[in-house]
Amino acid sequence: MTATEYALRTDGLGKRYRRTWALRDCSLSVPTGRVTALVGPNGAGKSTFLRLAVGLLAPTTGSVEVLGESPATNTPQVLSRIGFLAQDHPLYKHFTVAELLRLGRSCNLRFDQGLAERRLAQLEIPLDRKAGALSGGQQAQVALALALAKRPDLLVLDEPMASLDPVARLEFLQALMGAVAADGMTVLFSSHVVPELERVCDHLIVLNHSRVTLAGDIDSLVDEHRLLVGPRTTADLDRAGTVVEATHSERHTTLLVRDGGLPAAPGWQSSPVGLEDLVLAYLRRPAGTEVAPTARTEVPA
Amino acid sequence: MTWLTWRQHRAEMLTLGLLVATIGAFLLAVGLQMHSLFPGGAGQCVGVDVSETCSTAIRRLNEEHGYASKMLNLFSLVPFLIGAFFGAPLVARELEAGTWQFAWTQSVPRMRWLAVKLGALGLATAVLAGVFSAVITWYRQPMDVLDGRFGADAFDLEGLAPAGYALFAFAAATAAGALLRRSLPAIAIALGAFLAVRVLVAGWLRPNFQEPQRLVELVGADDLADPGNPRMSTGNPLDWTIATGYVDSSGRPLSLYDSVAMYSAAQKEGVKFGAYLHERGVQQWVEYQPAERFWTFQLVEAAIFGGLAAALLALVVWRFKRRVF
Repeated sequence: MTATEYALRTDGLGKRYRRTWALRDCSLSVPTGRVTALVGPNGAGKSTFLRLAVGLLAPTTGSVEVLGESPATNTPQVLSRIGFLAQDHPLYKHFTVAELLRLGRSCNLRFDQGLAERRLAQLEIPLDRKAGALSGGQQAQVALALALAKRPDLLVLDEPMASLDPVARLEFLQALMGAVAADGMTVLFSSHVVPELERVCDHLIVLNHSRVTLAGDIDSLVDEHRLLVGPRTTADLDRAGTVVEATHSERHTTLLVRDGGLPAAPGWQSSPVGLEDLVLAYLRRPAGTEVAPTARTEVPA
Repeated sequence: MTWLTWRQHRAEMLTLGLLVATIGAFLLAVGLQMHSLFPGGAGQCVGVDVSETCSTAIRRLNEEHGYASKMLNLFSLVPFLIGAFFGAPLVARELEAGTWQFAWTQSVPRMRWLAVKLGALGLATAVLAGVFSAVITWYRQPMDVLDGRFGADAFDLEGLAPAGYALFAFAAATAAGALLRRSLPAIAIALGAFLAVRVLVAGWLRPNFQEPQRLVELVGADDLADPGNPRMSTGNPLDWTIATGYVDSSGRPLSLYDSVAMYSAAQKEGVKFGAYLHERGVQQWVEYQPAERFWTFQLVEAAIFGGLAAALLALVVWRFKRRVF
């Protein structure tokens, strides 16, 4: 595969702050034209990963490549192809919306001011209002409009909806998805909320304890995993190598396995697993445990 | 980027501009009045034998403008204010508000962002401090002519030094802000560093920027001698006297204890101290920096602070290069 088929590729990527690793040994690829969700609990290293991806941070180990180039070069050309919306959508609060647009125009190679103005007009966000006087949802929309006006090939969003109320979340998601449908750009966003992902993403990366524990196309990930319900067993299930999680009730044992759909053993019933349960199972796993197939984090596009 | 720099920092530029303008207007008002005391220029009133008009003018200068020295000593913090208020928020405000993530993901590489900010705000710092020192240099002109320019209320506020101080404060506040990620503590740290370096340079290094000159002479029989410090002067009131002292006829320096003992002995004998010393061949000496070294000293002072500022800004650049934020 050539580099351009991936919007983002990392190889052995790691970042250490003083003595603690925020991210380690991360090798994965994000195919172009997809909407990828980066899921993990707070403190899992999501923000670090995204900042490394957009070139805000320098990696301690490994490398990262965005759209075939290293964001570490920090050239205007690389920067102009990446749109970034940081957590809590920071903006200059004492700037009016119009001034923020002017900032975007004066600090970017290509900046589609008309696009931004149309988006803001649709949302009835006044241009003469100071950013700090807007509601949280409106500020997020302004930040999104600024990022989209760069006409980026890769849009990276860090917990874009974390601080928004349910109505604003929905509106934000609609705005984002409308833009993706119109432009066909690659989107990578982080979230710690699973349900809203299923509607909008087709690719998934699960980050836990500073490591990538699951990555791939959502449909194939769901296909590869299934739930097995059978009589209660106390055998060392981890040894099987495919068990992601085992839960025991008084009589039954429920296993989440990644075995690619092998026929179930006699006495065990197989059923598909939903995305949310799948993600939660991976998030509940303690640090340092790996299921054989998941160790392979590079996923076929 | 230029527009962004102006838009982000115009509040500081206007406030500090107003500060300098207010000081300038005030000094202009009182300065014109002071300059009018010497219609023919204060140069005519230098020396011991001066005309009646001159002695009146000098008396009025001391009476009506005697506050100048205290006021000017207070003004010595103005260069710090100028530099620190430009420098402290430069990086720290972006880190405080999280907007660094916004600013450095536009299409302007962060090194260019930093270069423009440092260049523009450093220039504004130097220009404002330059205007400030120009106004003071003008204001103090009669006093400079009469009393010299090496006092703390003159040297530290005139010529090139204030621009050097302001740039140092700018760099210290910028670096502290980049390290601490907070504007207000950055100002406090920068103030501590500013005072420490200023005191160190003014008190310890400046007297030796160049080897001081030394005059030695026999104590005159009629001299009004003082056991503490010889009242020896270089003959030019504009020179900067650094130290004075006595040596005995063999060239050995006399300690304060020695001279006090001699003073009591003189009193016991009932002779004047000056005559007593003269009889014993005691010499007095003075170490000083001649007045004409003023600009050399200004250049050295500005170079020290400018060099320190450059080193601190290099630290900021290095931190940006490493992308540790």
